[in-house]
Amino acid sequence: MAGLNTEPTERYRRQIAVIGEAGQEKIGKTRLLIAGAGGIGSAAGLFAAMAGFGSIRIIDPDCIGETTLNRQVLYRETDIGRPKADTAAKAIHAMNSDVDVEPVIAAIGKIPVRDLIRGIDVIIDGLDNYPARYVLADAAWKCGIPFIHGAVEGFYGQVCTIVPPLSPCLRCIVPNAPPARQTPIIGVTTGIIGCVQVTEAIKLATGTGIPMSDYLWLWEGFREKADRLKIERVPACHICGKGEYKIPSGERML
Amino acid sequence: MKIHVKTFATFREVMDSRFDMEYPQGATVRTLLDDLVKKYNGVGELIFASPGTIRDFVNILKNGRNVHFLNGLDTPLDEGDVIALFPPVAGG
Repeated sequence: MAGLNTEPTERYRRQIAVIGEAGQEKIGKTRLLIAGAGGIGSAAGLFAAMAGFGSIRIIDPDCIGETTLNRQVLYRETDIGRPKADTAAKAIHAMNSDVDVEPVIAAIGKIPVRDLIRGIDVIIDGLDNYPARYVLADAAWKCGIPFIHGAVEGFYGQVCTIVPPLSPCLRCIVPNAPPARQTPIIGVTTGIIGCVQVTEAIKLATGTGIPMSDYLWLWEGFREKADRLKIERVPACHICGKGEYKIPSGERML
Repeated sequence: MKIHVKTFATFREVMDSRFDMEYPQGATVRTLLDDLVKKYNGVGELIFASPGTIRDFVNILKNGRNVHFLNGLDTPLDEGDVIALFPPVAGG
């Protein structure tokens, strides 16, 4: 382990006290895909690396700009102009060289999604639009991979852990995409949501706790309130149900 | 019959977060939304694209199930229903 002279388990001693050595070993064997290396993806990547996830594949098509620096904690001023995925991978590796990090500089939908999720155990959604979320979440559902949905706007955030085949899918929760626009974001909201998603990933990896799989968890920062909104599977959903519901026109399936 | 209404995220900026409404049998989600437009300023333009047409991305859940997959605005209300209204947030 580069730079450290202690036993590998020493690094995780404080969390092994909570999840045990077996739990830590399970995290070390879990392969994460972080979709989007923005505000949520930065926070999730950082804490997933510190938790000791075995491998992290991180995908983003964009480069770092000045306007990203209010929330994307993996980047520094000197990184402006560099690709996010590549820079994020280097920052994650610098945080924990045990983690096998793979950057993918591409947009969801521009590369074969099944290749992107092949070998992945858990997906963390740090995307900034629903069309891309639908492509990834639909594929994850069909391949039986848990998809930890997260999204933010201003002081608001939401998380839902979609675990096929029993939980509702993303289409049951949000059937129609909101119009595309540049979302206003308070930086800390992405940190809160990304950290909640990594908490979910740790629960899934170790088999501890109960994932947020039958409700949407909603965070409201300026009133310091968190709510649970019960969600049920839709029998007519074309992804997780019997499929009578027709996909909206103009939207691409896998 | 009593209907429990819950609102979330930016909808709370124009409506209370939790309240109850009373209706006779036969009321629908449309009845409820029409009353919310009368009860709270700003709800009309927030929820409706035009009179009678709800904005696509406005999520209305009846007991956890999106009315988009039920009968939309014509989904009937039943005693004790929990109707949740939320706009999905999108950013990352």
